[in-house]
Amino acid sequence: MRVEYINPFVESAYNVLSEVIGPDIQRGDLYLKSTTQPVMGVAALVGLAGDVEGRVLFDMSMKTAISVASKMNGEELASLDELGKATITELANMITAQAVTKLHELGFQFDLTPPAIITGENMEVSDADVEALIVPMELSSGKIEINVAIRERA
Amino acid sequence: MKTKMDFPNINERQPEGISDEGKSFRVLIVDDSMFVTKQIGQILTSEGFEIVATASDGQEGLETYKELYPDIDLVTMDITMPRMDGVTALEKIIEFDKNAKVIMISALGKQDLVKKSLLIGAKNYIVKPLDRKKVLERVIGTLKTD
Repeated sequence: MRVEYINPFVESAYNVLSEVIGPDIQRGDLYLKSTTQPVMGVAALVGLAGDVEGRVLFDMSMKTAISVASKMNGEELASLDELGKATITELANMITAQAVTKLHELGFQFDLTPPAIITGENMEVSDADVEALIVPMELSSGKIEINVAIRERA
Repeated sequence: MKTKMDFPNINERQPEGISDEGKSFRVLIVDDSMFVTKQIGQILTSEGFEIVATASDGQEGLETYKELYPDIDLVTMDITMPRMDGVTALEKIIEFDKNAKVIMISALGKQDLVKKSLLIGAKNYIVKPLDRKKVLERVIGTLKTD
């Protein structure tokens, strides 16, 4: 995967998270993950189409998701209800869209799909032969792993 | 029971969502995210605007606009939505009512979509994340243009 694709996601994640959750965000070291990846409990998924194909997965624990959604709504959510899920998918949408906007400025054309959210324990994500690059973000609410897999169209 | 008299207002200010004739401006929110709909709703109702309807995709937004017409002052329109995207819905609303006041609200700041929406007839464009001040400024600015 081309490294130019990644930086916009890192920057955009940092900007959006700072704006909607507040400061003290630490970026962890990037690392590559093989194709089958366990999911932490809540995963928001945004698809990419256009010059390339791929997807961005925002992976976090249920506890982190509830805490992030509570902060974004300015009220304590007891569980990840409909509003909580909509909040996490919107966070994924904002980060991906801002990254896509930056990529657009660099001359890459992407469209994105409306986001989906998946919740459950012990899930795995498999993408056929595509490596995913992980951008870990540490917040006071917990960890969010932004998992980007993009490949050129054959 | 506290009445308004218990809270003397230092700055006598008319809420921005109420017209000079004392009527609330009527707004339709078109967005597929319950979270964003709630956010926009809270910002606008706190200033006296009335959210007359919400729609969760472009098709529903278009149908709702036609039902409410002419009793509607403003539409906020998301771009990326299922069934019909916001740019298409904007186009169809303008076809139906060339004076429609539509503000695009999207996380995408892509220049071509911004330009395209404004060319079709959107009055303004707000990039998410939403900031209360920015939303009110643009909405009020749009309502004041004729």
